[in-house]
Amino acid sequence: MTKQAFTLNVNGRDYRVSCEPDEPLLWILRDDLKLTGSKFGCGVGVCGACSVLIDGVARRSCCVQVANVSQSHKIITIEGLGTPDNLSPLQKAFVKHTAFGCGFCTPGIIITATALLSRNPYPSRAEIIDALDFNLCRCGSYLNVIEAIESFVREQSERSGE
Amino acid sequence: MSISRRQFIKTMGSTGLLYAFRFSPEGNPQSKSYEISPLDIGDDSCIAARIDLDYTEWIAFGPNDKVSIFTGRSELGQGLKTVLTAIVTQGLDIPQEKLVVVQGDTAQCPDDGATYGSCSTNQVGWGFWIACEKIRNDMVTRASRTLGISVKDLEYRKGGVGLKGKQDRLISAAELGNGKAVLMTINSQVASVNTRKYNDLGLLNVNARKIVTGKLKYAGDVFVPGVLYAGWLSPPYHRKLTRLRSVDLSAAHSIPGVKMAEVIMGYPAVVADRYSLVLKALKAIKAEWSLPSRPVQLKLEEESREGARFVKDIEKSGNVEAGLATSDFVLSETYTTHYTTQAPMETDTALARLESGGKRATVWAGSQYSYRARGIISQFLKIPENNIRVISMSVGGGFGGKISNPAPGEAALIAQNVGKPVKLIYSRKDQFQWRGRLKEACVVDLTTGTSANGKMLARKIDIIHDHGIGAERTYSIPHVLTRLYKADMPVDHATSRGTSYVQLCFATESHIDMVAAALGMNPVEFRLTNIQYPALGSVLEACAEMIDYPNYQPGPNEGLGIAIVNHGGRQFGAVAAEVFVDRATGRITVKRICGAFDIGTIINHNTTTLGIRGAIIWGIGYVLHEEIKLNGHRTETADLWAYHIPRFSDIPPIEMSFLDYYKEDVPMGCGEMPMVPTIGAIANAVHQAIGVRFTSTPITPEKVKRALQGV
Repeated sequence: MTKQAFTLNVNGRDYRVSCEPDEPLLWILRDDLKLTGSKFGCGVGVCGACSVLIDGVARRSCCVQVANVSQSHKIITIEGLGTPDNLSPLQKAFVKHTAFGCGFCTPGIIITATALLSRNPYPSRAEIIDALDFNLCRCGSYLNVIEAIESFVREQSERSGE
Repeated sequence: MSISRRQFIKTMGSTGLLYAFRFSPEGNPQSKSYEISPLDIGDDSCIAARIDLDYTEWIAFGPNDKVSIFTGRSELGQGLKTVLTAIVTQGLDIPQEKLVVVQGDTAQCPDDGATYGSCSTNQVGWGFWIACEKIRNDMVTRASRTLGISVKDLEYRKGGVGLKGKQDRLISAAELGNGKAVLMTINSQVASVNTRKYNDLGLLNVNARKIVTGKLKYAGDVFVPGVLYAGWLSPPYHRKLTRLRSVDLSAAHSIPGVKMAEVIMGYPAVVADRYSLVLKALKAIKAEWSLPSRPVQLKLEEESREGARFVKDIEKSGNVEAGLATSDFVLSETYTTHYTTQAPMETDTALARLESGGKRATVWAGSQYSYRARGIISQFLKIPENNIRVISMSVGGGFGGKISNPAPGEAALIAQNVGKPVKLIYSRKDQFQWRGRLKEACVVDLTTGTSANGKMLARKIDIIHDHGIGAERTYSIPHVLTRLYKADMPVDHATSRGTSYVQLCFATESHIDMVAAALGMNPVEFRLTNIQYPALGSVLEACAEMIDYPNYQPGPNEGLGIAIVNHGGRQFGAVAAEVFVDRATGRITVKRICGAFDIGTIINHNTTTLGIRGAIIWGIGYVLHEEIKLNGHRTETADLWAYHIPRFSDIPPIEMSFLDYYKEDVPMGCGEMPMVPTIGAIANAVHQAIGVRFTSTPITPEKVKRALQGV
């Protein structure tokens, strides 16, 4: 296979990259765009550390070929959700509840949780667990993650009830 | 490393004050003094030698009230940076934004040992707390001399010294020092009497904002100009079992973008300008591997016993044979445990760059011990250690396996071969099959003798495995013999969370329940009768109360188990687990965990809670899910589908409480200990649920089904 030019829309910005069409999106995000928040954990879509939003759906970027997401598709990475000085409300909840250990899996967990909350703003505990079950965290921050999301959901529902 | 005048000035500007100290937690309680000997930083050789040899932690006070602390210990997700920040900001009464924590960089940090064993808070953190107290006093003395004001009119104030009762500061630490270094030796026994009380202020993780935005940098996130990517072609066998017989690299060479495909250190390696090309080229390589004639690990117990040789008596007191002979009740059982691995989310990764025509090198890595990595790189590159800088970035989980992370040395060697900076990334398959650093499997033969009324009289333990062993007195028994035998299994071992306390405690805490049951005694009561330390009794009683042990009524196929541990003689824990066993599927669900722990002063509850939850979750994974399967020569477990680390749906509610029996100030750490009794507690709970005693781990659905079918 030979290299081709692709246009990717990532975090609201268009990027031109040159690579083979079957190259996994993960390595383009990391090595070309230097968006290193998406992590390599397994390469086979089981751990979720590389999760990104593609048209609002959480996908494993290690298993997504670049040719399938160029042009009109909207890609959002962890860097597109907030910055250290301007955290999203969900990111704030993760900070407050120490919902991470080493933090390597955390971007993927926040991406997956963001997708869940956009399709189901008030998930139950069981729905949170179900949505995140294949986002692995070896440090074992699971209960803290659930607490962070539940507190975020509680605050959202209080705000909308006002 | 040695600090020179130039580095000192670079760190702190032309003025500054550096305190270097050595902390001895196990120090001699008689030497109730510490030395403070100011040295002029102008005398390079002297300070370099003394700091290098003896003084293992540094605090530097620079201009603008900036305080920097330096430790070789890495941030692994255990929260060391947060813990050190909590300690030093409180110890010196300075704001968080004035503190810089420098970790794991051999060009800046002292060699204060590997980051392992739940001991960094205890050894490094508490050293800093005590140092802060000494520094406050020392600054007042210095200010008195400099300003000509009596010591009794002065007090330490926010990184400097001021007049007692006044708000403003007369002089800053940097002004006081003006290029001085102060060397101190600190002994914990002295200091614990003198220091102020530490208050847990509930600090949030200091890396949090970077973590949740993907901005925290791990080794793989570092880029240098012209960097190339590298990977190994790994065999599906453990490296000790196989050799490369033949290889055809031509297909790899023909891929555009591939810069190198060569056999290095006996294995094919590929370097390319994109990582995806590395993976493609590796797939194109045809290799044949030779194997030894003897298959391994079909029968762990037989394999281990075969050729095991006596190493030493770990513990010997009384006369165990006589003790067993006079016992009213004797029970013998054999327990076996399995292979697991650390499986951190970040695979072994390093970026290496050779500089000055190959005479120097800088390596960025995820390492639990930068200095060890530096030593290995030095051997591989054949250049002196002082010409090599290893920077441990934030580590994406270590759990023991990254003390011996092979990537830094290998990345450096490949970079030397190809003449360009190289980022080496291990695949998950490499990590599991070829270079797996395994937690050792173990066989434990255990015999316990008791009196008719449930007093333990004698215990004989034979441990067969092929790594170190941690064994601490949990029960008070007059006649004890614990012998260690070494088996030679052809795999790499490495320390892994919980170390070998895990295997031994599974055996002993299962056995205790079996003995108690045979004597018709309640397992909690039996343990309390025989306990060695009062701290163990208090955690056990607290834990039993948390889970309402006396009133527990199991439903069908439900059970409650409890177990205790004495970890390193200073951390004590009791864990209770409630389980449900699905008879049809064999699946075990952990419904609830309660733990009571005695770990001394808690520096930061947020960090501690996460660490204990993590350790308990590791216990669940170990006893129910995780297993590296070796079949014949092949490592069957090749990815995270096959290696089941605990997931969201595996985690029960976890409750914990803390006791402090000894009322000591010193924090003891807790990252491993709670894992250990979790394993025994779950095994004991399964026994109560279905009446089956599993003497080998892991307790998988298949094993449960087989046992229930009576096969």
